[in-house]
Amino acid sequence: MSTVQQGRLKATVMDADQIRRSLSRIAHEIVERNHGAADVVLIGVMAKGDHLARRLADSLIELEGAPIAVGALDISNHRDDRHLRVPAHRGPSEVPDIDGKVVVLVDDVIHHGRTARAAMDALMDFGRPRAIQLAVLVDRGHRELPIRPDYVGKNVPTSDSERIEVLVTEEDGIDQAVIVAV
Amino acid sequence: MAIGSRLRHVVESQQFSRALLEELLDRAGDMKAQPHHFSGRLNGQVMAALFYEPSTRTRLSFEAAMLRLGGRTMGTDNAREFSSAAKGETLEDTIRIVSGYADVIVLRHNEQGAARRAAAVSSVPVINAGDGPGQHPTQALLDLYTIRDEIGHVDGIRIAMVGDLANGRTVRSLTYLLSKFRDIRISFVSPPQVAMRDDIKHHLDEHRVPWVESEDLDAVLPQVDVVYQTRIQKERFSDEASYLALKGVYRIDNSTLARMKKNAIVMHPLPRVDEIAPEVDSDPRAAYFRQARNGLFIRMALLDKVLA
Repeated sequence: MSTVQQGRLKATVMDADQIRRSLSRIAHEIVERNHGAADVVLIGVMAKGDHLARRLADSLIELEGAPIAVGALDISNHRDDRHLRVPAHRGPSEVPDIDGKVVVLVDDVIHHGRTARAAMDALMDFGRPRAIQLAVLVDRGHRELPIRPDYVGKNVPTSDSERIEVLVTEEDGIDQAVIVAV
Repeated sequence: MAIGSRLRHVVESQQFSRALLEELLDRAGDMKAQPHHFSGRLNGQVMAALFYEPSTRTRLSFEAAMLRLGGRTMGTDNAREFSSAAKGETLEDTIRIVSGYADVIVLRHNEQGAARRAAAVSSVPVINAGDGPGQHPTQALLDLYTIRDEIGHVDGIRIAMVGDLANGRTVRSLTYLLSKFRDIRISFVSPPQVAMRDDIKHHLDEHRVPWVESEDLDAVLPQVDVVYQTRIQKERFSDEASYLALKGVYRIDNSTLARMKKNAIVMHPLPRVDEIAPEVDSDPRAAYFRQARNGLFIRMALLDKVLA
């Protein structure tokens, strides 16, 4: 059974076009920051970031005309709240060779920063990247750890009584980011 | 970030992950086995059925599903003719308004892509109950459920899809779902005029699902676990004679059954005309009426998933 209440949708913060444009901009920023994408590996945090990572990879392939390694990370065993509730396992991680690479972690939303911390921790099981960067579609603020994303689709100020939900066509049938009242 | 899988809208078959499919099938199985355990699950919730084209069975099965979960329903069978749509209101505006009244919207529309447009503006979950020639995901889910319920598993099955494969959206949607499972083999059996379209074949190739095309149903029958029969649609043929010549070719009768495996099943999305002889109905392998009934349980599971 779902552990998330469905909640009442309050507002749409990004529609399909805005998401497409944001990902396109982030792809350009990744290329600019890293002087190309030759050493870049995209790793999506399951279960939304992996879809976004694949789309970013498609954009990078188009921009640079060369293949990009892309992977997916299940972070449930690295969450800091796993002693409080049973985490949902998303499936086996699929991580390409990351030794000496610039890994761009991709997630849908950054909030407290605890998922990003867990993702960095999980990533270290697979190798020693030269650098880790973080790309998120939505930054909703309220950080509890010293973590700041390198690439942000949209900053959305929120309150604690709200949740940001990112819907992706691959799983939800539509592309949309919404604010939901909890 | 969200923990645990949730489901907001049901737009198309491709959106379901294998894990979510398993969860829904298990849930539907629980609901079939012990329906009374779930009778108050959706107390006080309201489902709006917005049908822009008529479909009595789909609508009744959704309404029955909501009522059996303790929810209530309202709706219209002819939203196109009588609602503000006739005055020129857009689908988007109608959805914005109805999503203020209901907790879930079940939408049947004549235009492909309508469900996605509705989902983009709705503040409550939208469930696609068929959008024109596009998708009918809940039919595909009940087909999948029926295969698992009857055969015992989905991985490893051999299925023959028979009849009008070019125009049948049920076989198209089901193929998308089957591609998420392992070791599936599909035989497309149809006249060349209505063969399965290339987009689906490419999808299967991408997902490494082996498929073959054949015009010879008799040769395929002894190998398969499921025969998915569809209606040859008369309106697709230019002259009556070629329709009549083709429609009898794949008729399923007792001699067809004799060539099938003992534990295989015959499925059909219904309504049937004469592509399955009535004599087949009494054979235990005739699964199509059980299949129709399963629509109730899979729709209960879906409503429960998006609302509970």
